[in-house]
Amino acid sequence: MNVLLKDVTIVDDRSSWKGKKVSVGIENGIIKEIGNISGTYDRVLEGQELMLSVGWFDMRTTMGEPGTEHKEDLETASMAAARGGFTGIACMPNTKPAIQTKDAVAYLRSRTAQALVSAYPVASVTLNNQGKDLTEMIDLHHAGAVAFSDGDQPIWHTDVLLKSLQYVQMFDGLVINHAEDHLLTYGAQMNESEVSTRLGFKGFPYLAEELMVARDLRILEYTGGRIHFATISSPGSLELIKNAKKNGLQVTCDMAAYQLAFDEEHVQGFDTNYKVNPPLRTKADIQQFWKYIYEGVVDILVTDHIPQDTESKKLEFDLAEFGMNSLETFFPMLLASCDDQTFLTLLPKFTRAPRTLLKLEQPEIEIGKTADLTLFSCVDEWEVKPSEMRSRSLNTPLLGTKVKGKIKAVFHNQKLETF
Amino acid sequence: MEQQLSVRHLLGIKDLKAQDIQLILDTADNFKEVLNRPIKKVPSLRDITIANIFFENSTRTRLSFELAEKRLSADVVNFSASGSSVKKGETLLDTVNNILAMKVDMVVMRHASVGSPHFLSRHIQANIVNAGDGTHEHPTQALLDAFSIREKLGSLEGKKVCIFGDILHSRVALSNIFCLQKMGAEVMVCGPSTLLPRHIRDLGVKVELNLRKALEWCDVANVLRIQLERQTIKYFPSLREYSLYYGINKALLDSLNKEIVIMHPGPINRGVEITSDVADSAHSIILDQVENGVAVRMAVLYLLSQKK
Repeated sequence: MNVLLKDVTIVDDRSSWKGKKVSVGIENGIIKEIGNISGTYDRVLEGQELMLSVGWFDMRTTMGEPGTEHKEDLETASMAAARGGFTGIACMPNTKPAIQTKDAVAYLRSRTAQALVSAYPVASVTLNNQGKDLTEMIDLHHAGAVAFSDGDQPIWHTDVLLKSLQYVQMFDGLVINHAEDHLLTYGAQMNESEVSTRLGFKGFPYLAEELMVARDLRILEYTGGRIHFATISSPGSLELIKNAKKNGLQVTCDMAAYQLAFDEEHVQGFDTNYKVNPPLRTKADIQQFWKYIYEGVVDILVTDHIPQDTESKKLEFDLAEFGMNSLETFFPMLLASCDDQTFLTLLPKFTRAPRTLLKLEQPEIEIGKTADLTLFSCVDEWEVKPSEMRSRSLNTPLLGTKVKGKIKAVFHNQKLETF
Repeated sequence: MEQQLSVRHLLGIKDLKAQDIQLILDTADNFKEVLNRPIKKVPSLRDITIANIFFENSTRTRLSFELAEKRLSADVVNFSASGSSVKKGETLLDTVNNILAMKVDMVVMRHASVGSPHFLSRHIQANIVNAGDGTHEHPTQALLDAFSIREKLGSLEGKKVCIFGDILHSRVALSNIFCLQKMGAEVMVCGPSTLLPRHIRDLGVKVELNLRKALEWCDVANVLRIQLERQTIKYFPSLREYSLYYGINKALLDSLNKEIVIMHPGPINRGVEITSDVADSAHSIILDQVENGVAVRMAVLYLLSQKK
């Protein structure tokens, strides 16, 4: 299929067309021409203030398959990812069984290799994410696992973390940890604060995250290797990570978009869609988060997409599951938490940075290169309608609301989808 | 026009205005007078059906509500399930919808989950009275406590009330703090440091770890039951040590050279948080609290029935 993107602004620091408003012609999945258009095209995409970037990449998707297909499967997760602007997703091993065999890894890679959205499996560090016995990480790496993590479970065992950081160095692998000391968060429902005190909820203390970050960094200093902290939610952790980076440790971290879009006060209405782990923090924390984002301490922004069915969410708050459905609303959430110009500066954090960290090929916006692109508008508004959600689950507090920031099209693997 | 509440459910004290509390206490005054008549029944809630739904064990609160409902001539149905109904495969919403399908006008609910009456209020039409939601609120207890203090001391304004014991797991403490503050009283909490929420000072209450100092400060001591059943984690080593350092006994009170009103929401662990000679002393208004509970609950139900 031949498509012309008419008068779009290229937003990509690495492109020689950076910042220019040009037309882009795509033929058979290849960027054929930029600027002076001579070819004829079957289809023209145009609109007001359209921006073109390389395809977005989400480093933290829970896709539900296998085990919880009633909440999401690879197909619905992929469709939701495309609607959210993503052409690549790293899938967490929060599955049953966990992603811990080379067959499972190879299956995921091959099933989406030619798809609009490529899924990259993150394999478990320990069997069944239980934090005890290491998986066969070399084998899993060769099968195509892009990193190792116990998903939403922390790698709590000190020696297991130490050994895994040593072990993955044989192939310069990456360990991703969800930093949470479970002994300090038993029964916790939300951020520990004045709000949790008023609501009578047990809270997640910042300490629970910071302690594990501090522990992990000290271990990293001892072992060497690479560690990545997922969905950081405490300014204290970010300060520790900042110092570790300054000291030359190979540490990176990400933050979820919902962490910037919402604060703990949203929990006061007991809407379980705001029940997430790590919990929503305070307005003052969000200001701190932005400081660390600007400083580059936060390397990557993620959706932390966790689909939950109605039966898991339409419940008493303490009985409801954690997690927010975020693939399709990542862009509006992020855009709502900053201005358009700031948003554009964040693009590398969900395009280039995760691909670099996971050692994946970088797409380029140049003539002759494969089209791996996301076309979007920062001004278009749309309503988050339940009937239009691609995800099998509807657990987003934005359901039924009007939001700003719309994905217009994604291109990848010679496929195009418009919205 | 007759005064009305600003809310149509009693989910928590937090949502009430000072005028609402005032109105409830004044209305309860009238009902208390009714309760002392030879014929204790009034027809105010005739043709109103109230469901008492208790997902957690309760003796006195349920009895008190039931008596209040019957004194108001309401039709009453009772439902109790130990533990969460979800564990039995039915959700809270289904359970309550089933009961509502039987055309119930008001629901009095106790549930172990924080926010469960709020959750319910979003999904059903009936007026809801929170009879305790987990570690969050127990609004009628706070109202009857306020009523009892007002009755004993004339007013709440400027009075010093200290709440003793397990503040961390207590819905009574939280509702009392909100209620007393709205009515102009000063509030202190006193207990072992592991049983005080880390951010409790942010609610504008004083914190005292020493029992004697707290007693020296207060006009009213509201002593809470030590809730061993709600503690999945050990917060203190033993009841013995607790009663040694946080138990209130007569010798201690006598040594203070001042009179303190003693309250307890019940049920009392005699000899643990409070000794019998204190619980049964002239300074204790523990049984007045029970009596006032009926009048206050009558007031709440009556006022809510005006809000359709």
